[in-house]
Amino acid sequence: MLKTGEGQLAPPRIATAGSRSAQFIFRSGLLIAVILLFIVLSLIAPNFLSERNILNVLRAVAFNGIIACGMTLVIISGDIDVSVGSAVAWASSLLGVLAIKNGWNLELAIVTVIASGVLVHLVAGYIRVRWNVPAFVVTLALFISLRGAARLITNAYPVTPFPSYFSFIGGGFIFEGLPFLERGVPVPVVIMLLTFLVFYYISTRTVFGRSVYSIGGNEEAARLSGIPVKRTRMTIFGITGFLAAFSGVLISSRIMSGASNIAEGLEFEVIAAVIIGGTSLAGGLGSIWGTFLGVLFIGLLSNGMVLLGIPSFVQEVVRGLIILFAVLISIWQNNLQKRVARE
Amino acid sequence: MAPLLQLEQVSKRYPGVIALDHVDFSLEAGEVRALLGKNGAGKSTLIKVLSGAITPDSGRILIDGTPVLMSSTSEAFHHGIYTVYQEMSLIPSLSVAENIVLGRWKKKRLFGLLPSIDYDAMRATARAALEQLDVHLDPDQIVSSLTIAQQQIVEIAKALSFNPRIFVLDEPTSSLASHEVESLHRIVRRLAEQGRAVIYVSHRLQEIPLIAHTVTVLRDGKSIGTMPIEEATPERIAQMMIGFDWQRVHRKKSETLGPVRLAVRNLTRKPLLHDISFEVRGGEVVGIAGLLGSGRTELLRAIFGLDPIDSGEIEVDGKRIGTPNPTTMKLLGLAMTPEDRKRQGLILSASVQNNMTLACLDRISQSGILKSAVEKQMVNDMVESISVKTPGINVPVGTLSGGNQQKVVIGNWLNTQPSVLMMDEPTRGIDIQAKEQIFELVRDLARRGLAVLFVSSEIEEVLDVCDRILVMKEGRITADMSPDDVELEQLLALLMEESYA
Repeated sequence: MLKTGEGQLAPPRIATAGSRSAQFIFRSGLLIAVILLFIVLSLIAPNFLSERNILNVLRAVAFNGIIACGMTLVIISGDIDVSVGSAVAWASSLLGVLAIKNGWNLELAIVTVIASGVLVHLVAGYIRVRWNVPAFVVTLALFISLRGAARLITNAYPVTPFPSYFSFIGGGFIFEGLPFLERGVPVPVVIMLLTFLVFYYISTRTVFGRSVYSIGGNEEAARLSGIPVKRTRMTIFGITGFLAAFSGVLISSRIMSGASNIAEGLEFEVIAAVIIGGTSLAGGLGSIWGTFLGVLFIGLLSNGMVLLGIPSFVQEVVRGLIILFAVLISIWQNNLQKRVARE
Repeated sequence: MAPLLQLEQVSKRYPGVIALDHVDFSLEAGEVRALLGKNGAGKSTLIKVLSGAITPDSGRILIDGTPVLMSSTSEAFHHGIYTVYQEMSLIPSLSVAENIVLGRWKKKRLFGLLPSIDYDAMRATARAALEQLDVHLDPDQIVSSLTIAQQQIVEIAKALSFNPRIFVLDEPTSSLASHEVESLHRIVRRLAEQGRAVIYVSHRLQEIPLIAHTVTVLRDGKSIGTMPIEEATPERIAQMMIGFDWQRVHRKKSETLGPVRLAVRNLTRKPLLHDISFEVRGGEVVGIAGLLGSGRTELLRAIFGLDPIDSGEIEVDGKRIGTPNPTTMKLLGLAMTPEDRKRQGLILSASVQNNMTLACLDRISQSGILKSAVEKQMVNDMVESISVKTPGINVPVGTLSGGNQQKVVIGNWLNTQPSVLMMDEPTRGIDIQAKEQIFELVRDLARRGLAVLFVSSEIEEVLDVCDRILVMKEGRITADMSPDDVELEQLLALLMEESYA
């Protein structure tokens, strides 16, 4: 996916013109950064370039990566969603309560959990559009109350045990015995890659995706053109709710318990990946491909710092600065391009 | 004695336009001067020169006979000139008093220690300014809870607290109801009695004799003449505003008209639109002539379902709609290019292609999946047929010229294959050549059977392009005429006068 899709995957909406090579570098800046980071870590970080470690990196980012697909749409549309971490915890807790405490059939419990995730986010989306409440406020309320609800139904204790076959979707492997991949590929990684493909398609090839960009670019113009702004925004919320709940199920499978204390701070890791991926918080600009690179970049960086034995508090400082730096770079590039376009 | 304010041979050039062309202007203390002229005549440039917002290329400004330099608004304040702009500069969430002394707060120390704003002094300043105007407003009231007229008074009170000698009021009554206008007039008279000079820009010709002592008419950046109010008849002013060099262009009109495409009956949206009824046939271009604030934009918005209506009916191709909304109106074949293309018409960061299919995503997709070959074909065809000049359909639309941006907006709507096209100010801010192309396009669309509703503040355009003209004033349609039966001067006088004999 990294190499083959690159040509067509270039985001269609870059704000200013410029020479072709400058545009290529602009669009590929993050790709180059990811590749450089990879090469540097291969050279200096012990054990980085092992099959096991690479798969670990991918598995570590899979759960966030899945949610980041929805977050990209949210941010392109000009909104923000800070509730996804709590939504993950709610999904995990509800799954534990339904499947273990109440003894529901596991599949039915999973479907119910995901449905509840979608429903809660749809209601939030409805409030967002019906009374024009800022998305930040609506999702902040969710952020607080979903976490509380998760603790409420579990008494803040992890709920165990799930049936052992449940571990497959979050902790299992497929494609065992392939060349170079003796242990196979972690299932969540495969799911993440599929999710990115689906969302790449949605964002570039569907009426819905085009509407998301249009609404984020200029809501008034979109409305005047008869694009159903409210319905589109609600759909985006519903999708994010779906992905957060789905990811919550996967994480539950990975840790084999329903827990209310997981995914704390996840929302900001996801938003960070989207922003590093070049999606503008102002709306209208961004791409799924960029988010994919942003997710990889953060994953590689965290993994590299661990392998290099950098203290974890230092890691946090670095991760924070990287976000700031990524945004500054894209602002500088935009200014530069505008200047080039003017001359 | 030298006049209070004097401009000598003031000129200002912009690329391609002479905004002010050797203008002489003088004003005495206690005088109220009406400044008149069409859009683009140079009124706003003159105001900007007086307020220090722009510096003229040549010429002198004298106050009390002494040449002064005004290269910033603070220098204009310093010389006693204060401009109250059409767009209000008040902060809605603050109180009347806070707005009046904004940025000039007196400080005191609470318990002789903590620095704090002296609210009592602030209220006193505000009250003094309001009393000078002889109005009763609570200084503690929040500005957003005031009517527009009251806000305007606060704006003037704010100006008064600077104690200026010259007031410039830019279209102060354009958004006021008629009973509110009277209290503004009273204030203007009071300012003059206090020995201040007032420059009053207005489109409402009928109010000029009520307050102005003298009238100056601008045209094409030149001062055409100044006269005492007694000599300023509406006909004379209209003639001076238009000049004699304007030639009407007779465009080829549609030969036969089709069936009624758009019918509006008793449309009311209080307080902006009252009982509006009209019809537009296929092949017909109907112009709406009205000044700023006459309700012309509001009418189009109401028809398109962007604003709720109180009562009335809209019929598109015989289908009756009680509560319009943009999505259904679009499906019925209605199209609208909005007044402000950058804010309402385009997604500036998106490509020409995406902007041209914004309104017709259903036509380039199947079950929600975009068909990019169909889209490209459609966009390329449209770019060619309405001759949009662009380096490619993938460049961001924001990089095109204004005229080409406007064509993209029009193309976006033509791609929906509408039967009725409503255009709000389609020629605003675009060059003459692009204007001409848009006029031709409008006529061509009419020949192909479209019904066109054309709104423009350029009355010449309405006369040139349209088959029929609806005159709009204060939310009502006051006349329905053929452009062949009316002269430009008459139409202009009609728009500016309250009643037309």
